[in-house]
Amino acid sequence: MEAIKFENVYFSYEPTSSEPFYDGQDGRQAFALNGIDFSVREGEFVAVLGHNGSGKSTLARLVNGLLSPTRGEIRVFGMPTSEENLFEIRKTVGIVFQNPDNQMVASIVEDDVAFGPENVGVEREEIGRRIDFALSSVGMEKFRTSMPTRLSGGQKQRIAIAGVLALKPRVMILDESTAMLDPRGRKEVMDVVLRLNKEEKITVLLITHFPEEAMLADRAIVMDHGKIVKQGAPKNVLLSGDVENYGLKMPISVRTCRVLRKDGVPVPDCLNATELALSLKKLLKSGGRYAMNEFNFWPYPSQTVYNKEDVAGGEIICKGLSYAYNESSPFETHALKGVDLRVPSGSFFGIIGHTGSGKSTFVQHLNGLIKLPTAQKKYKQKKGVKQSVDQTLLRVDGFDLTDKSTDFKALRAKVGMVFQYPEQQLFAETVFEDVAFGLRNFKPETSESEIEMCVREAIEKVGLEYEKVKNVSPFELSGGQKRRVAIAGVIVTKPEILVLDEPAAGLDPRGKEEIMSLLHDLKNSWCKTVIIVSHDMDEIAENCDRAAVFSDGKVLIEAETQELFGSAKALKDAGLGLSFTAQVLYELSNLGLYLKAPLKVCEFAKAVACAYNMQTEGGAGKWLT
Amino acid sequence: MANVAFGQYYPASSFTHKCDPRTKILFLIGFIVAIFMAKNFYALGACALVFTVVACFSKIPFKSLLKSVKAVLILLVFTVVFNLFFQKEGEVVFEWEFIKLTKEGLYATAFLAVRLFLLVLTSSLLTLTTTPVSLTDGLESLLTPLKWIKFPVHELALVMSIALRFIPILTDETARIMNAQKARGADFENGKLTERIKAVVPILIPLLVSAFRRADELGDAMDARCYSGSTNRTKYKKLTYTWRDLIAGLLLTMLIVAVIVLKAYFPVII
Repeated sequence: MEAIKFENVYFSYEPTSSEPFYDGQDGRQAFALNGIDFSVREGEFVAVLGHNGSGKSTLARLVNGLLSPTRGEIRVFGMPTSEENLFEIRKTVGIVFQNPDNQMVASIVEDDVAFGPENVGVEREEIGRRIDFALSSVGMEKFRTSMPTRLSGGQKQRIAIAGVLALKPRVMILDESTAMLDPRGRKEVMDVVLRLNKEEKITVLLITHFPEEAMLADRAIVMDHGKIVKQGAPKNVLLSGDVENYGLKMPISVRTCRVLRKDGVPVPDCLNATELALSLKKLLKSGGRYAMNEFNFWPYPSQTVYNKEDVAGGEIICKGLSYAYNESSPFETHALKGVDLRVPSGSFFGIIGHTGSGKSTFVQHLNGLIKLPTAQKKYKQKKGVKQSVDQTLLRVDGFDLTDKSTDFKALRAKVGMVFQYPEQQLFAETVFEDVAFGLRNFKPETSESEIEMCVREAIEKVGLEYEKVKNVSPFELSGGQKRRVAIAGVIVTKPEILVLDEPAAGLDPRGKEEIMSLLHDLKNSWCKTVIIVSHDMDEIAENCDRAAVFSDGKVLIEAETQELFGSAKALKDAGLGLSFTAQVLYELSNLGLYLKAPLKVCEFAKAVACAYNMQTEGGAGKWLT
Repeated sequence: MANVAFGQYYPASSFTHKCDPRTKILFLIGFIVAIFMAKNFYALGACALVFTVVACFSKIPFKSLLKSVKAVLILLVFTVVFNLFFQKEGEVVFEWEFIKLTKEGLYATAFLAVRLFLLVLTSSLLTLTTTPVSLTDGLESLLTPLKWIKFPVHELALVMSIALRFIPILTDETARIMNAQKARGADFENGKLTERIKAVVPILIPLLVSAFRRADELGDAMDARCYSGSTNRTKYKKLTYTWRDLIAGLLLTMLIVAVIVLKAYFPVII
């Protein structure tokens, strides 16, 4: 039976326009959906892919009757989505949205799960049974009486799924439900979704940017400009070269295989690291001159010891940094428990760690948003007594952050900080005013013409056209453009150190890539040091030259990226994964082939190709070690 | 930080914590009535005794209780002093220029101070031992009879519940936006009043934009989960009275009886 059926559906957010058109001029579309025809069988797992603004979220809202089509018809188990069927349709089709915080009504988990059944008038005892069922389906029984604010993103999203499950739906739509989660949370949610599809036979419509998630589906649909442009088995859809034209990306495993083939290593398209390692093992007898002499996948890398107190420009030194929230109250939590870290000048530095590992707290110390006790206004040093807090050392770019006489305003001009979802901090009437905000604050004496010059430079640096956007309201821009404006507002003072918390979070693959290349460009021109906080190991491996792993308020490892991913065990201990390329090397080492290759995909491919070519040209055995 | 419960709630497992929120609300109302019925120190002493018993059973450190008084201390002192100088009748104990203190005035002032003190302490005992969520549940349940006069009890309770849910989220968000603007050189602590008011704009606008976006998304999520107002709606959460509530009820009854008896047998001060 067909669970969902779209027949020639058009949808416009502006009810006045009746003819479908696409206005290439300002990039806006009168129609969000342009003649959609598709159906989903009962029990099927369908992934819908598309870049931001391709119309895929509109599609989800139409199925559930939150929106109704401008033209065409949508049927859910044969029922058209009209006003009189709305209640039945919403009972049949559940939606889980993107932001876990914005879909919970109650402050206690079980009350929130009960919300749906209460709305449809289910008996009290039955609601109790449904809460049991829903919470155990998502593996959250233990959290029945918890408060959602204390849960992680993945847990919150599982509660949101439970809230939908309590209505006993036959179809579940996930509208980018994993976009705001870290890899662990994403896996938690995907495991639940897969289980519900396989065991409870719930039809799933998964809307996502992540090609890896789409690979799990029975069928993938690609949308672009409100139209379905491709559909079929996920493997066929995602592995065909033209998905990149629709702002999507192939899974990293396939991308790596393609680069390898381009460099002359004949590997097939592999879907995971184990597969690729196996086919590489067949091709390579040894690592050639890239062979590693010893097995260095296990030991923790050596900690850099440093004692010098003078700091070069753009450098950060931190020793023994601790911090507790709500000190001496029942809610006291120790976020940092003695952090030792050195970020050398001129590095593209990565900070990795789970939510709650203390990385955000650490980062906020760097520009004095959290001040050390000795740097606070009310702090008075006792005469003659050398205090224990003085042991803490925190120097950023020549500023001593343990001293309260430090000029924190000058520090903040030097250390630019871009928070998560920075577009949410935009406020001014025009892009120009928003970008100029920081400059006017830090250097009030700057002349208007100088301000204009700096703002123009910053806006052009982030890849926007100054003349076009300067007088536009920042709220009218698209998501990716807003983020650029927000970054421009931070770099306008030309900071020497730039810290970014999850700079690519929530963007589609193309947007992610653009932001990363922007950061490299900044590092090569304006900023000495760039620090990114990220959970994405591939992002770290591809971009950073050094990285630190935070775990439980401490720095677990700090090393060159290459060395860091070499210590697979240490990362596993912290509950973190490896980058894809490191995973391949690790799997190869398990197969007895010890290869040392750089982790950036293109360099990795070059090294593997080199090892491969040498043994084919020079004959087997010549390069064996 | 997200894991801070807002309000005063002090997590513990105690007799007082486990009482039904409705009992606690009704107990507070009854207690306030008793305090105002008490017209001499003996009756007030009985109230203080009952408060001490309840407070002891709540396992809340005395320091935390006193903290709640600190917030209204100025108001308390002001009322007391005001009262002290305006009681002109009776036996004069001290007189200087226009200041005249009488014996009755001193008694009355001391009485008022104790009364107010007890009032504040008992109210904060309620919020210290009851989570905002169960307070809301208790209020909703107590207000249910008002449905008869078409009072939107369910809607009010849902609004309160959503507010409670979003207060910590919005507090966090405010902190995040403030940090972001501080990182861009905004200064919220120094400067003239006009400058400080102007400095609020970069916080307020993003906060409003976000609040509206959240409201929009929440509305969709509620719609998607079949919300259609209070008609044909059932309620999962059910509050039940236990033996604890019986004891609390008995204690309150005893207090009120004691206050009435003491009022009849001993001289009235106020």
